[in-house]
Amino acid sequence: MGVTPIRPGELAGVPLGRRPAEPIIEIDHVSQVFKTSSRRDHTALSNISLSVEEGAFVSILGPSGCGKSTLLYIVGGFVSPTSGTAKMKGKPITGPGTDRGPVFQEFALFPWKSVLGNVMYGPLQQGMNSAKAEARALELIAMVGLTGFEKFYPKELSGGMKQRVALARTLAYGPEVLLMDEPFGALDAHTRTRLQNDLLEIWERDRKTVLFVTHSVEEAVFLSDKVVMMSRSPGRIREVIDIDLPRPRRREELLLDPRYQNYIVEIERMFDDSGDNELPS
Amino acid sequence: MITTRTTNEWLLGAAPIVLVLLLWQGLVSFGYAPATLLPPPVQVFLRMGQQLASATFQQDIAATLFRLFAGFAIAVVLGVSIGIAAAVSPPVNAVVRPIVRVLAPLPKVALYPAFLLLLGFNHESKIMLVAADALFPILLSTYYGATIVEQKLIWSALAAGTPPRDVLWKVVLPAAMPSILTGCRIGLVISCIVVFLAEMITSTDGLGHVLVTAARTFQAVDMFVPLITISLLGLILNGLLQGLRAYLLRGFPSV
Repeated sequence: MGVTPIRPGELAGVPLGRRPAEPIIEIDHVSQVFKTSSRRDHTALSNISLSVEEGAFVSILGPSGCGKSTLLYIVGGFVSPTSGTAKMKGKPITGPGTDRGPVFQEFALFPWKSVLGNVMYGPLQQGMNSAKAEARALELIAMVGLTGFEKFYPKELSGGMKQRVALARTLAYGPEVLLMDEPFGALDAHTRTRLQNDLLEIWERDRKTVLFVTHSVEEAVFLSDKVVMMSRSPGRIREVIDIDLPRPRRREELLLDPRYQNYIVEIERMFDDSGDNELPS
Repeated sequence: MITTRTTNEWLLGAAPIVLVLLLWQGLVSFGYAPATLLPPPVQVFLRMGQQLASATFQQDIAATLFRLFAGFAIAVVLGVSIGIAAAVSPPVNAVVRPIVRVLAPLPKVALYPAFLLLLGFNHESKIMLVAADALFPILLSTYYGATIVEQKLIWSALAAGTPPRDVLWKVVLPAAMPSILTGCRIGLVISCIVVFLAEMITSTDGLGHVLVTAARTFQAVDMFVPLITISLLGLILNGLLQGLRAYLLRGFPSV
């Protein structure tokens, strides 16, 4: 079937029968417990272990409330886990860093800065002089297809354009890993498809490691080398599935490809079996 | 279309002001109030024209404006810095919160006699009163604005390499700007009221003093001139602040 399920306990995330590439991110027995408003403990993540190879596009797929975003925030260094460790290139993650660039569903653009100002922000923080930072920003704005919109403010842009700016802003400081938290979740279907295509095109140029959180099965299969399926209460890894589809991927071709269709059906079936039936959308 | 709408709005806004002036004129014209006690508006505006040209009246305006600006500036600096500090630091918040709750509802004008005794009859006591009254709305709205800054803006800035100590200036302050400016607008109106009030209570110059002096000598016309002057000053200052606001918040939605 082309689907290679791996038990979460053993060698999670390492594809069988292939020599593992160097892991860039290692998540080792990470758990996250929150206090709820009624002062009870809520386990958002339970004993998660996962390693992500350098250059891989990995999606974390799961129903809402399974802690998939929390896992991403732990890798980003925005949240520290209750127990366990997350490592970036062998070093424990203790806080945010420019080696890991987030892209949020809510865009989180600085409303007081223009498109150019937003994209220049990272390079300026890294001590680049403003002429160089501007050149760098213009290059990235062109890359995401927004040339001509440099002087616009985020409020003047559509959702899809805002997310393009957010992607450019993050890419501008050259992170080694992109952490994408349901980045296309707030967009309409058409825009979403276009951004998925463009993201793949950008990604296929330099193959940065991407950790991509989504609740859409199609999105995960279309984009990823590997899909990490999570289940709810407590959030844990159910399966890690390698997506063995040729690249560069083209949507028109994939939609007709039985292997692509199989992956989607398989994954949706697994979610149905588990009773996490809030999933596929 | 847009210009027509704004012109219409402008006319609508001017209508009640014209109505008040007409009512005022009517009261005098139809003999409900004697002209010696309630002078007709035209007479007041003519007198105001004369006064504006006189050096003493200009000095009074200058004194009032100086106190107003000094007090308001102190309130902005203290209100914004304390508000931001309380929002980002739990210990500061623990210290500031009770004292703000105690002092905010206090009628600050009740402190004026104490300020007079401590600081004298000159500018200082009036500036102090203006600052004390304008401080709280600015502080409270700054605090509110800084506490609701979207977490992910801060995360985005940190991931882009912003040192944590710079997040305050680079993210929290600009993100809280809409609330801060709303607080400033309220603070500015309060400053206009309070500076006038302080000058009415005890002063040797300023617009409030002009009004009290005129009232004591039954100079009805001279009594209305400073009143209208302070409203016009308030109108101008508010307009300037609006301009500043539109510039600073040009990127924010719905200004």
